[in-house]
Amino acid sequence: MRAKLLSILGGTLLSGMTYAGGFQVNLQGQKQIGMGHAGVGLARDQASIFFNPGALARIRQNGVQVGVSPLIAKIAYQEPEPGNTTAKTDNPLGTPFQVYGSYGFANDKARVGIGVYTPYGSTVNWGDTWQGRYGLNELTLRAIFIQPTFSYALTDKLSVGAGPIIALGHVNLQRSIPLQAANGQEGHVELDGNAVSYGFNAGIYFQATENLSVGLNYRSKVKMEVKDGDATFRVPSAAPIASRFPAGTQFDATLPLPANITLGLGLRATDQLTLAADVQFVQWSAYKSLRFDYTQTVNGSNFSENARNYQDVFIYRLGGEYAVSDQFQVRAGAYLDQSPVKDGYLTPETPDANALGLSVGLSYQLTEKLGLDASFLYLNRKKRTDAADLSGGVPGTFKSVGYIPGIAINYNF
Amino acid sequence: MKNSLQKIGAFIAGLLVLAACEPEINDAVKVSKGDLNLDKYVAVGNSLTAGYMDNGLYREGQLSSYPNILAGQFRQAGGGEFTQPLFTEEQANGSGYLRLAGFGAAGTPELAPVTDKLAIRSQNPTLYTKYTEEINNLGVPGIRMSDILTPGYGSALGNPYFERITTNPTQTYLARVVASNPTFFSCWLGNNDVLGYATAGAAANDITTPEIFTANTTEIINALTANGAKGIVATIPDVTGIPFFTTVGPTVKSLLSAAGAPGMIALTRKGSARVPFAVSQIKDATGGTILFPLTASAYLPLVGQRTGKYWRDLARQAVPTNPTLGLANILQNLQVDTTQLFGLSAGNPWPSALLLDDAEQKEVSDATISFNSVLKAKAQEKNLAVYDAYAYFNSIQSGFTQNGVSYSTAFITGNLFSLDGVHLTPRGYAIVANEMIKAINTKYNSRIPTADITQYRAVLFP
Repeated sequence: MRAKLLSILGGTLLSGMTYAGGFQVNLQGQKQIGMGHAGVGLARDQASIFFNPGALARIRQNGVQVGVSPLIAKIAYQEPEPGNTTAKTDNPLGTPFQVYGSYGFANDKARVGIGVYTPYGSTVNWGDTWQGRYGLNELTLRAIFIQPTFSYALTDKLSVGAGPIIALGHVNLQRSIPLQAANGQEGHVELDGNAVSYGFNAGIYFQATENLSVGLNYRSKVKMEVKDGDATFRVPSAAPIASRFPAGTQFDATLPLPANITLGLGLRATDQLTLAADVQFVQWSAYKSLRFDYTQTVNGSNFSENARNYQDVFIYRLGGEYAVSDQFQVRAGAYLDQSPVKDGYLTPETPDANALGLSVGLSYQLTEKLGLDASFLYLNRKKRTDAADLSGGVPGTFKSVGYIPGIAINYNF
Repeated sequence: MKNSLQKIGAFIAGLLVLAACEPEINDAVKVSKGDLNLDKYVAVGNSLTAGYMDNGLYREGQLSSYPNILAGQFRQAGGGEFTQPLFTEEQANGSGYLRLAGFGAAGTPELAPVTDKLAIRSQNPTLYTKYTEEINNLGVPGIRMSDILTPGYGSALGNPYFERITTNPTQTYLARVVASNPTFFSCWLGNNDVLGYATAGAAANDITTPEIFTANTTEIINALTANGAKGIVATIPDVTGIPFFTTVGPTVKSLLSAAGAPGMIALTRKGSARVPFAVSQIKDATGGTILFPLTASAYLPLVGQRTGKYWRDLARQAVPTNPTLGLANILQNLQVDTTQLFGLSAGNPWPSALLLDDAEQKEVSDATISFNSVLKAKAQEKNLAVYDAYAYFNSIQSGFTQNGVSYSTAFITGNLFSLDGVHLTPRGYAIVANEMIKAINTKYNSRIPTADITQYRAVLFP
């Protein structure tokens, strides 16, 4: 069962998508998604490996969980007045996924686990005819985090946990070049590269009273360094032009994935109702610029650089779970997500804006060991008009919405 | 339990339907024609209006003429049909034009004529395949303000581009304009009243007199507005800022500097008078004023040689029946001794046609400024919108960026000017159309959207 699901995922996991501020993708657990993606202050399930490794030691059952959140994101664009040309993305279905498993020992005081998940990514496809095509045709950005984890209950109330992160990244960026061949075909550049990088995830969980719990989670910055990526140019063949875009050019680039600090509260309000609230602080200010260093001189320069100057942001999450029966729970939640993109820096890669996420979810225990989680998240990003004059972006108005159904199965033993 | 599962199923189905919704940018730009009646837009003008580019009039240029772009945008505000005298697909290359065939060793562009799929029905005189349907674009390449009252201008002996769209050869251009009876018009005339003189290096043609220019401007604007039509009038750009005049000079300057030559001697205007000038007087980025037209580039390698090639070429063109006699006459009239050093000696001076010197530039500049004040005054009198092309092209001399693309008045690399260095690329015409729309919106309380300029091409590269 598990192997089969993994193989299905293997076929489709190849794109993440813009989905929280910047290019963070907050879809790391179906139960948590249903509750506004809050969960640092709860020891809810194996997804604590991501949300709070400190809470993992509180999980009483060994188990695995496999989930996927097919992501439908749509972005509309309108050029600045007095123009009225519009464009919209034709994004492929994104497939952020989550795989967690853990095993307890030492009288269940200690627990080891592993998580594989996709916390950052972006796939936007504007095509090669829209007005901003010299800024961007298409961007695919994904990062798969692999996190072995150890969690230990220091006391009845206090547990800690941590794990290293191995991050596998891939970036593919395509743009039109404003040089047109005699047959009308425009120039094009494709930058494609991979990165491997490292970080860690650590957390503390404190069961203050029988009904109130507190969690603190820190996920470190991960510097994704692309080495020897391939820059492939298609330009008119006339020598003075072709020589400016040499074949065989490679590039290096660094994309910082920011550190996150999250404080979460969990409250068992009644026997049936559980509430969760998280405040997440994302240190996006690490993302200063998008710079590509080339191994050869490209169009007169051996690098290209556009300012990003992201700002740190807070995300506020609130969610509730109501247990209809022992087998069946329903959930609802919401979150407010600030945009790390400052005025003047909007880009078509992540046409970001403050966002409101609304979610619902449910869990159903099919058998004693096998359970099903489902969620649905609606994300509404505020319409944003920007001159994009500081980022080399595309000026205009952007509006995006996302619809993310999600499903996971868990097997506990 | 089963019941609640069904409810959940219905709920999930509802969510999936929701997922089909598209994001909307609700406050879409309101489109309005304001005070305008756009039922019948008629474009009056010269080559720029016709969509001439790359030294020719051909179908692609016609389709990207600024009037056609304007009409397309007007249509969003309820504007009527707009018909152009398009060359057919079979004769799409119209008059023929220049294409960029390659680059020389030094990176110099090599232009080649396109000679297939032409619409030429007679070689001598040159006449084009007729288009006699009713049309909205009355742009006639080559027409001057001073030509609009000339009888027979539409005959086989007149302007072949006007002849092409004329059924009554005795009808003047003005009469044709009157008969078109527009509800809205654009009028961009007058460029050729100075341009022809300038591009000939002041060695041929004449600048229209201010009296004729004023009288004819009055005539045509009065006629266009007689039925209450509103419109836009465009001014004449400073011709000395176009790549036709700014591309070659810097090369001449660096070549002469490298060779250690102190300066050149050139003929001025139409006579045999000589003007000497220092290398430093040639205009490039560092300073100077003297301009060399694109036509000079073919003769640059001959500077300092004992040659009469330019004059032989001229004679063959001017007196094809007897070039030998033609050459003798030219050399005698201009007192040229081709055994002396070409361009560097008073005996064998640089031809006037390949240079626009300070005095010539002043004539062109004075006329341009005077014509523009006539055009603006007349537009103001009739309360018309004005596209001040003179101010606009002066304002972009240092270049600008839009949609991540750099634009400037540089030849080929500037994206605005076509391969003749005088007329615009489709992208350049779209930019002009958008500037006109802004002027129209300001004047007439309309909200006509501008066009997406990236849908129009710049120079095509091999």
